[in-house]
Amino acid sequence: MQTILWIHGDNLSPQNPVFQAAPGAPAIFVWDEALLRDWHISLKRIVFMYECLLELPVTIRRGEVAREVVAFAHEHAARRILTADSPAPLHRRLCRQMSQHMPSGSRLEILHETSFVDVPGNIDLKRFSRYWQSVKKRALNP
Amino acid sequence: MSADMQREFANREALIAYLAQQFPQAAAAADEVPPVPGGRRAAEARLKQITPGKAYSASRNYLNGAVSRLSPYLRHGVLSLAEVRDAALEQAADPAEVEKFINELAWRDYWQRVYRAMGDGIWEDVEAYKTGYAAAEYAADLPEDVAAGRTGLACMDAFSRDLRETGYLHNHARMWLAAYLIHWRRVRWQAGARWFLTHLLDGDPASNNLSWQWVGSTFSSKPYYFNREALEKFTDGRYCRACPLYRTQRCPFEGSYEALAERLFPYAEVAAEAAPPPRKKR
Ligand SMILES: Cc1cc2nc3c(=O)[nH]c(=O)nc-3n(C[C@H](O)[C@H](O)[C@H](O)COP(=O)(O)OP(=O)(O)OC[C@H]3O[C@@H](n4cnc5c(N)ncnc54)[C@H](O)[C@@H]3O)c2cc1C
Repeated sequence: MQTILWIHGDNLSPQNPVFQAAPGAPAIFVWDEALLRDWHISLKRIVFMYECLLELPVTIRRGEVAREVVAFAHEHAARRILTADSPAPLHRRLCRQMSQHMPSGSRLEILHETSFVDVPGNIDLKRFSRYWQSVKKRALNP
Repeated sequence: MSADMQREFANREALIAYLAQQFPQAAAAADEVPPVPGGRRAAEARLKQITPGKAYSASRNYLNGAVSRLSPYLRHGVLSLAEVRDAALEQAADPAEVEKFINELAWRDYWQRVYRAMGDGIWEDVEAYKTGYAAAEYAADLPEDVAAGRTGLACMDAFSRDLRETGYLHNHARMWLAAYLIHWRRVRWQAGARWFLTHLLDGDPASNNLSWQWVGSTFSSKPYYFNREALEKFTDGRYCRACPLYRTQRCPFEGSYEALAERLFPYAEVAAEAAPPPRKKR
């Protein structure tokens, strides 16, 4: 199935799992106009990220992220979008929007990079000290 | 569908000029350029230079300490926490030698996990302030003199300028600036957090907002604060020496932790107890 890669600001590495999963597939990064405006992101942050992007095989656009990514998939007659995971709620919202606007039979897959440490699902996150107690051994001896 | 943005540039100046023209609002708000380059190559070069063992654990609290400065690369996933940890372990005969450094990496992992669980809730106070003040007693906006670096306090003004000009502050400077804003100026942490996210190259909603909440006490059991003596020690006195307020004995950070707590948190239950030990830096 023809695939495109959606690259976002939480995973600007050539070792990004999506590049590994589909080498050579067309990739897109979209500057989120609303986010830049709402967060008053300064020029230096944009320059830094842009320099990261220039080392990646990626088409760079700007606008509404979900719409641009779906249009890019359409241009490439792709039915599959791969992206790297992110904890940001915005990432989940964008994935949902994309899924809604992709033609039927398409799919969006979220890939995970190697985690820092595997933790039990019921880990206590109330304070760092509790988290560290339960992961320390594995974090130091991966 | 929008047009492709440019990928070929003669040099860094050309790239910066292009981006200033493409994003005029960002350039108008703050047109400084990053002192460190983005990209995997730069990240790998930086990673080769880290000294995560004794050099790190002994000096990391000092402003000129041997910290890694990997944060912008970690923030944007140019490097993963796992590969930075593995690089640190390679330098150690025994993992215990690099435990402090890996413990700091773990803070990032922890905040990311909390973010995943809380979502946009990280913008709300996780708990009530333990300062004796209610959230409504804190100002909503960042004071102009702080943003402009014109408070008259040599340390805070330098941190404000560094933040704007370089997009980086040492962890201790972040803690002091946050504590100053929240506890001395009584500004809501959210105003400071937004300011940091505008400028920090490593600006990350999770690490940033939750650290601000940790300083403020809305995500910890007591407020973090400091005194002039501590700041002087970890900065080798460079700000105090240059500060007119210190010379004229009007430094607002002067005093023992007990005296400062009485001044800053007169209504707090913890502060009312017999002298609390100074908050240990994490
Ligand atoms: C008010 C406040 C706001 C902050 N905002 C951010 C932010 O937006 N983004 C950010 O990455 N860090 C933030 N931090 C955490 C910390 O200050 C920076 O990660 C650190 O100073 C980066 O410098 P370094 O890479 O040289 O760190 P090192 O000491 O070399 O640590 C190595 C890496 O571990 C991680 N790390 C270290 N300390 C912390 C910490 N306390 N919390 C989370 N991660 C940590 C970082 O990824 C860092 O690059 C904030 C701290 C405070 C007190």
